[in-house]
Amino acid sequence: MGDRSRHTVSTAVDPTAVRPPIHDVDEIVRTTPGELRDVLQRLKAEGYAQLTDLGAADYLSREPRFDVVYHLTALPTRVADVAGVGRPKRARVLCGVDDGVPVPTVCDLWPNANWPEREVFDLFGISFSGHPDLRRIQMPADWEGYPLRKDYPLRGPARDRTPRPPFANKENVPSRVPPTGEVAELLRMEILERMRDTGSNEGES
Amino acid sequence: MEMSANRLFLAKLDEAARWAQSSSVWPLTMGLACCAIEMMVIPAPQYDISRIGSEVFRSSPRQADLMIVSGRVSQKMAPIVRRLYDQMAEPKWVISMGACASSGGVFDNYAILQGVDQVIPVDVYVPGCPPTPDGLIYAINLIQQQIRTGGRGGILARA
Amino acid sequence: MSNLPDWISGAGNPPDIDPQAMVAAASPEVIARGDDEMVLSMGPQHPSTHGVLQVVLGIDGEEVTHAEPEIGYLHTGIEKSAENLFWNQALTVIDRMDYLGPITNDFAFCLAVEKLLGITDRIPRRAQQIRVLMSELTRITSHCIWLGTHAIDLGAISPFFYAVDLRENILDLIEAASGARMNPTYFRVGGINGDLPDGFLERLDELIAKFPGRMRDLRDLLQQNPIWTDREIGVGVISAEDAVAWGLTGPSLRASGIAYDLRKAYPYSTYDEYEFDVPTRTEGDSYARFLVRLDEMEESMRIIRQVRKKLEPGPVMVDDPSIALPPKPSIAVSMESLIHHFKLVSEGFRVPPGDVYAAVEGPRGEIGYYVVSNGDNRPWRVRTRPASFYNLQALKKIAAGNLIADVVVMIGSLDPVFGEVDR
Repeated sequence: MGDRSRHTVSTAVDPTAVRPPIHDVDEIVRTTPGELRDVLQRLKAEGYAQLTDLGAADYLSREPRFDVVYHLTALPTRVADVAGVGRPKRARVLCGVDDGVPVPTVCDLWPNANWPEREVFDLFGISFSGHPDLRRIQMPADWEGYPLRKDYPLRGPARDRTPRPPFANKENVPSRVPPTGEVAELLRMEILERMRDTGSNEGES
Repeated sequence: MEMSANRLFLAKLDEAARWAQSSSVWPLTMGLACCAIEMMVIPAPQYDISRIGSEVFRSSPRQADLMIVSGRVSQKMAPIVRRLYDQMAEPKWVISMGACASSGGVFDNYAILQGVDQVIPVDVYVPGCPPTPDGLIYAINLIQQQIRTGGRGGILARA
Repeated sequence: MSNLPDWISGAGNPPDIDPQAMVAAASPEVIARGDDEMVLSMGPQHPSTHGVLQVVLGIDGEEVTHAEPEIGYLHTGIEKSAENLFWNQALTVIDRMDYLGPITNDFAFCLAVEKLLGITDRIPRRAQQIRVLMSELTRITSHCIWLGTHAIDLGAISPFFYAVDLRENILDLIEAASGARMNPTYFRVGGINGDLPDGFLERLDELIAKFPGRMRDLRDLLQQNPIWTDREIGVGVISAEDAVAWGLTGPSLRASGIAYDLRKAYPYSTYDEYEFDVPTRTEGDSYARFLVRLDEMEESMRIIRQVRKKLEPGPVMVDDPSIALPPKPSIAVSMESLIHHFKLVSEGFRVPPGDVYAAVEGPRGEIGYYVVSNGDNRPWRVRTRPASFYNLQALKKIAAGNLIADVVVMIGSLDPVFGEVDR
């Protein structure tokens, strides 16, 4: 069959080092926080006019722990039709960074980096030096912890410690709980009587 | 209510008031996510909620009686949902539309409240992801029934 | 450290929110300068913000001096949820990102995973064509809701009913094929869930026949309407250079003059076999974005007509037992099928390690996924490239200097969907 074997594959610690034969971007550059701005400035000068995406990933047991991933697209900056746009080049820049190490911002190169850098800070805890307004964007301002890190529990720290409550437990559902027992019977009789009075044929058992 | 021979309606004031109230339940626009889209199409001709009196979606909580929480309630939005509920004038009802508002839905994680009934009391829960507009109209019918019969226990109201 | 504040468990009331403090904390950039300027919080519950958006406006009378959109009110943790679900299960949560065009999210994710698996060339043609069909139908439904809600924001109520009527017809088709009107999760890694039902193509023909009349209605209602043109022409102008720099894609970019459409630039899934134009305008204002989207609806219908003619018979799922479920009827009679089904549903399949970026042209622009697999049966990281996130960020640039009423027009014409912005 010639396809890559899926049945005896082991989990990789650094998936970005595995370069499968996929052509999704034209250029992949791996760099460090110190050289990041030089690399990105060079790519911007080569025509990568749009920062398509800025994201991050947490490779827990790898050195360096995080990757900040930049996707760039070489779009024209003047009016262009379909032929003029053609097939724009794409590039991916991976910047490996450790916990606590800041990454230089690229807001001055591409103004749309403002929000994604805030999001990476909010969800991973990677700070961007030189960012004009680095604060949480998705989580509430007083949230503690960085949710998308691999060591942050899926259900959040508090709920992870408490077991899932049983369905419709009186203790944990502060909404109105329907009455039970005698009160319920009385209420039911009353409702049925009123329905009979109003001529409604619902509730006929 | 009964109609006498000279075409006079005789009714208790309470029943007449409940009849009027249940025929014009005005919802608050609390559209959060995908369920909001299904909520938005109920005034449209296919489902037409104006035949039961609720096509006037009010944006201001002071003018609404029904809060339809349609969509997933995130951590940031929870205090705001509670504040809007507090701003609504009595009597008020709440429909929790969809799986996410009823119980957290598909999202059992740090970001979503596992049911909006953690912050506000709910009268009718509508299952679905998203529920079809028919389901929501049925829920509003159940609210109308609750208003007319005076019972607050949703599961006891027969349909 | 608790997920929820104590007052939520029912004991006591929420703390008094001080709006000024909330606004000041939200946007340190927006500071009131002098006596004439005021800070106004528009949202997060507002009829015209298309969802849960808070725009903190610095205003001088009616004129906006500074606008800072505050997002996060719909943050769902979809990316984290996807890391804890199998590859096919992750499609259910990913579907709910851009909830107005749900199938396009799945489309991009499936393309990414299929690249990692190496089966892109083996997806059956019928599956690819049905993917195109569903994608274009979804694009039309998304633009219908955009048109309806945008018109309602500006006070025009009637177009909403016409647009929703068209949308309902299409949703009937999507429901017939997949079982659900919205969030259908119709695609699977390797193909689609099930073939089109009997009678689907006849109903599609009815829709195709009805569509031109409905488009004419929508255009007649708004396009030459003097109130509409007064409110939209010249509002929210974005130049081509700014549009590219701010990360705009989709109709908002094309209305500024750059004809970048992923269906033409990086053709995927048989899009190169259909003839269609990419509507483009150069003015870059809200009216241009409006016209581009209307034209796009017609181009989508053009593609649908071609798919209808060219639809080939055949399987709808890749022929690979390690990914594809066995046909459902065989489970009742064959033990092997039952075990196969059980293993795939309870354990999923494994995807070889690697990272990949794949994007599609969604109704709002480039929806991309940067998917990282470490060889396991769950994704390691699913990073979304959200079209609306970047589109909405441009509001910071274009809102200043306009009236508050224009901010409503701008938000509507940028067409954000908050499931995608906040994820």
